[in-house]
Amino acid sequence: MLLILWLLIVPMLIGILLNGILPIFRRTVGITFILGYLAYFGLFEIIAIPCMTRITYGAFGYCYRYFFASSIVLAVLGLTRLILVLVKEGPSFLSVFPGDTHAGARELMSPRSDPKGLKLDYSVEARIYWGIFFVLLAVQMVLAVVMSSFDGDDAYYVVESLLAQQVDVMNTIHPYTGISTSLDIRHAFAVITMWIAFVAKGSGVHSTIVAHSIIPLVVIPFVYLVYVEIGRILFRRRQEVIPVFMLVVSFLMMFGNVSIYTPATFFLMRTWQGKAMVANLVFPLILWIFLWLLEDIRETSGNGKLTWMQKVAPWFILTLVNMLSGICSSLGIVFGGGLVALYTLVLLFFRKKWTCLLGAFVSVIPSMIYVLVYMSLRGA
Amino acid sequence: MYGIFMECWVALKLYGGNGVLLVLFLAAAIYLTFKEENIKKKVMLGILPLVVLAGFLFPVTKIVYVAVFNSDGGDTYYRVLWLIPMYAVIGYAACKLIFSFKKKAVSRIVMALILAVIAAGGSLVYLNQYVSVAQNLYHIPDNVIEICDRITPDEGKPRVRAAFPSELVHFVRQYDTNILMPYGREMLEPGKDYYNPVFEVMEKPKVINAEELVNATRETKCSYIILANDRKIDTDLTELGLKVLDTVGKYIIYVDPEILEN
Repeated sequence: MLLILWLLIVPMLIGILLNGILPIFRRTVGITFILGYLAYFGLFEIIAIPCMTRITYGAFGYCYRYFFASSIVLAVLGLTRLILVLVKEGPSFLSVFPGDTHAGARELMSPRSDPKGLKLDYSVEARIYWGIFFVLLAVQMVLAVVMSSFDGDDAYYVVESLLAQQVDVMNTIHPYTGISTSLDIRHAFAVITMWIAFVAKGSGVHSTIVAHSIIPLVVIPFVYLVYVEIGRILFRRRQEVIPVFMLVVSFLMMFGNVSIYTPATFFLMRTWQGKAMVANLVFPLILWIFLWLLEDIRETSGNGKLTWMQKVAPWFILTLVNMLSGICSSLGIVFGGGLVALYTLVLLFFRKKWTCLLGAFVSVIPSMIYVLVYMSLRGA
Repeated sequence: MYGIFMECWVALKLYGGNGVLLVLFLAAAIYLTFKEENIKKKVMLGILPLVVLAGFLFPVTKIVYVAVFNSDGGDTYYRVLWLIPMYAVIGYAACKLIFSFKKKAVSRIVMALILAVIAAGGSLVYLNQYVSVAQNLYHIPDNVIEICDRITPDEGKPRVRAAFPSELVHFVRQYDTNILMPYGREMLEPGKDYYNPVFEVMEKPKVINAEELVNATRETKCSYIILANDRKIDTDLTELGLKVLDTVGKYIIYVDPEILEN
C-alpha cells in the first residue's frame, strides 16, 4: 500500500496540483501523471544534492525527512485542488488517455476546445490492437518480476540504495567492500539510487526488491505512456493508428536485444538503472515535448487562445525533464542538453521566434547549475 | 582520421548486432525523408536522425566526446546513438506504410510482416544468456541469501567481514550491507589489474595454499571464508584453526574464531 502511495498516488496528486498550467486539450490523466512524476523527481534533486554535499553524518536521514515532508505537502495541496475542481467541474476535468472525451456539440462550439485532440471512435480492429498491446505490456511487467537479469553494475548502484536505506549514508561508503570513502562525485550526482532508497524506506521494503521487482512495474508502463503521447501527436487526426504504433514499439523493445548497447536491452534488463532511464525515458520525453512545441505552431485550433502559462507549460516540463536527466546520469545532463539544443534549432527554423531560444535556455539552467556544482566539487 | 572513422564504424556495428534493426531504422528514416508530407515530421523523424547518425560516424565527434568524457570516453561512445529516436522513427514509418494501402487486408498483411521481421531479425531479450528465472524478489541467488543470513551479525553487534568466491561477490552486499568484504566487484572488472592480498591467494591459483589464505584473511580481519566444495585447496582449513559453520548448497562456510571472538 505504501508503495502505491509513493509510486502512484503522490506523483499523481502533484500532477493534479500543477496541471492547471496545461492547455485544456492536453489536460489528460497521462500528461498529468507525467507532469507529476517529473515534478516529484525535480523536487527530489533539489533536496537530495544539497543534503548529500552539505551534510556529513546521516545525510540520507535528512534527505528522507525533507523530501517526505515536502512531497506530502504538495500531494495534500494536489488533493485539495482535486476536490475543489471535482466539486466545481465534475469528473470530466481530466480525460483518460488517449482522448476519452467525445467531441460533442459543446466541445465543437467552444472556442477553448480542440476537437482534433478529442476522441475518435475506435474501430473493433483498433480495439483488438490495443488489447494485444496491453497483453504485451502485461507480459513485460510480469516477466520483469519473475525473470532476473544479471548486471555487474548492480553491485554498485543497488548497493548504494541499500546503504542509504540501512546506514543513512549518501554515497560515502564503498559499495563493493563496505569501507568508508569520500563522496564519489562521478556517480553520486545521479541521485536516482537515493530516490529508490527513499521509496524503499518510505514503504518498508528492501531496496534491492524495490530496484529489481518494483521499479520496473512503474518504469515500463511510464515509458510506453510517453510513446503513447508521442503517437497522439504524430497521429493526431488518425488516433486509430496509435495502437499499431504501440505494437511496433513494444516489439522493438522486446526483440531489441541485438547487442548489449541498445536502449531496448537497457530497458528490460537494467530498467532500474539511471542509464536505462536516460535512454528510454528522458530522450523520448524530450522528443515528445518538441513534437508538442512544433504541433503548437498553427496545427491546433485552440492555440490562439492559449494563456501565457499554457504557452510556457512545455518549456516548464522540459526544465523538469532536464532535471530528471541529471538525476539519472551525469552523462544524461550533457546528452540531454545536446538534444535540446539540436531540437531547438529545428523549432527555431519553423517558428522563427527568439522566445524559443529563451525557453530552451531557461530549461537548461538547472543543468548548468548541476554542472557547476559537479565541477566545483570535483575540482575541490 | 580514417582510423577514428573505422573505430566509429566498428562501434556502430557492435551496437547494431546482426544489423537487421539498424537496416530497418535506416530504411524507415530514408522512407520518411522522401515520403512524409509534413515537413516538421520529415525533419524530426527522417532527416535529423540521419544527421545524428552521420555525426556519430564523423571522427571529430568522437575526438570531442573523448576529450569531454576522458575517463571512459572510448567505452561509452555508442551512447551517442541513444540520441536517435530509433523506435519512434521505425514505428512511425511502419504505421505510415501500413496505412498507405487502400485495401485493409493488404495493410494487415504488411503489419504482420513488419512485426515478423522485427521478431525474426531482432533478439528476444528474455532469451539473453544473462536472463534467468528469478529465485526470489531480490533477484539474487538463494544461496547468497542463506549464507548471508547465517553470518550476518546480531543487531547491535559489529559488522563482519567475509571472503566470498568471485561468483558471489556481486550479490552479497545487495542483500546485506552489514557484511563487509575484503574485495568486491572491482577485482573482476576486465582490463583493471588491481592488487588485493585475499584475491591473490583465494581466486588466482588453481590450488589454494590454505596457509597463505588464512594469513591473508586474518590480516584483513575476515571472520568468515566461503568456499565452493569443489574448489581445490592443499590443506583443510579446519586444520588451521577454522571451523565449519554450515554448508549451503555447494558452499562451505568457515568461521575463524580467532577473528570473530576478538
